[in-house]
Amino acid sequence: MERSEGGPGLADRLTAWLRTRLPEARDVSVVDLERIHGGASRETWRFGLRFRREGATHERRLVLRRDPPASLIETDRALEFGAYRAFHGTGVPVPEPLWLEPDPGPLGGAAFVLEEIQGCEASPARLFAPPYLEHRTKIGRRKWEILGEIHRADPKALGLVGPMEEVAPEAAWRRELRHWETILDEDALEPQPVMRAALRWLWCHPPPPAQRVGVVHADYRTGNFLVDGSGEIRGVLDWEMAHVGDPLEDLAWGLNRVWCWTRDGLAGGLLPRPEAIAIWEGASGLRADAVALHWWELFSCVKGQAIWVSAAREYQEGSNRDPVMAFSCWMLGNSQDRAALELLGKLS
Amino acid sequence: MKPDLAVVLETTSQSLLLELGPRFGEPYGAATLGIQALLLQAVREELERAAARRVEENRALRRLFAGAGAAVADPELRARLEAAAQGEDASLLVSELEAGNRTLRALLVELHAHVETREGEAARRVEAGIWRELADSTERRRLSIAPF
Repeated sequence: MERSEGGPGLADRLTAWLRTRLPEARDVSVVDLERIHGGASRETWRFGLRFRREGATHERRLVLRRDPPASLIETDRALEFGAYRAFHGTGVPVPEPLWLEPDPGPLGGAAFVLEEIQGCEASPARLFAPPYLEHRTKIGRRKWEILGEIHRADPKALGLVGPMEEVAPEAAWRRELRHWETILDEDALEPQPVMRAALRWLWCHPPPPAQRVGVVHADYRTGNFLVDGSGEIRGVLDWEMAHVGDPLEDLAWGLNRVWCWTRDGLAGGLLPRPEAIAIWEGASGLRADAVALHWWELFSCVKGQAIWVSAAREYQEGSNRDPVMAFSCWMLGNSQDRAALELLGKLS
Repeated sequence: MKPDLAVVLETTSQSLLLELGPRFGEPYGAATLGIQALLLQAVREELERAAARRVEENRALRRLFAGAGAAVADPELRARLEAAAQGEDASLLVSELEAGNRTLRALLVELHAHVETREGEAARRVEAGIWRELADSTERRRLSIAPF
């Protein structure tokens, strides 16, 4: 039970591992280790790292992201770490990435450590309540602006092409559609008639080539960035699905109806859709072509449903019984079908 | 069975959410408790309608299949649709209704893909009926916790 307790077992392992990362430091210790909710794709722990160096005592607040036994999304943590490293220090706010441990041995799962951005909130349930609620428009504008900045970046200049598979502008849609269709095929525990209809439509109506191949965060939504009490976005999180592809994939994912937390039609619960799109266009230098965006929005429903059915399978089969696995598919699975029907003009 | 299942589930959920959760010192435990409370609320909502919505949907699918023959060119698929149309739910146990529903929904996927490739009025009529049923099916499954 060490994995879920996070008590002395993990603290000791973490301390021993951190000593190898800080060979010049003395009296290395881990304090206040506690697990926090950071999504179902990685376990997230925060802690204080104390050590002595050159006669002085130092303490840093850090976050450990560790692979669970089974994840909502199966990804390579080195790619996620690489994305943090690529954007750290740019106009896209991300926590500083510190160390990567791809070997599951030392920490009980492949893991990496980031700085903790303190005094912020990511949970939609809290962002739509005081003191954040009054900053909703500000958060929304910055959210879509940052997304545009991600898409303006050159993935080659950031060193991400190589670790991330390169893709031609005309091939991005096909690769992603095939990937998520395969997951739906493999993981769905029950027939998915709405998603099957959506998939047939998507294959028959390919979108135009990407205007530019860029970095796609792939889970850019309200809930995956940290906001401080003044409404400033301080860190974009959860880069585990990041890849090189068509930036419209990100725009469409963020506009997906399932992220309309406030049920008032605002994109991501924050801004009217046209305003969100206009801000993104201005920041990215790209155009949200209506035909292409429609294709990517329907695609985002298939992708979403593939994630929810995977979560359902993990929970059902017992490989991950975190209640968020059951909750995500119950809360979002049917909404995802409804969103697809709406995009296909079939929602009564 | 008294107290009612719905009352027990609602009360337990509220207790987890409002009484026990806030007393939980550790954030992961508190958040997990909150999610579990919301799961119980969803269970309460689904429990009430679990058999009814499956019976309703299985009947709707069988009616759809019964009227689809003229739009289906493949004799083997037509035969399976006819057989399914004549079936009925032998038990009201949710697990058995669910098994029947899975079989019928898998057949619906096949029928949908087939009529999409067919021309003519009969195919369009069946296709329109399928879309109506898909919209109805999402309505039957809606949970109050869902964002859309």
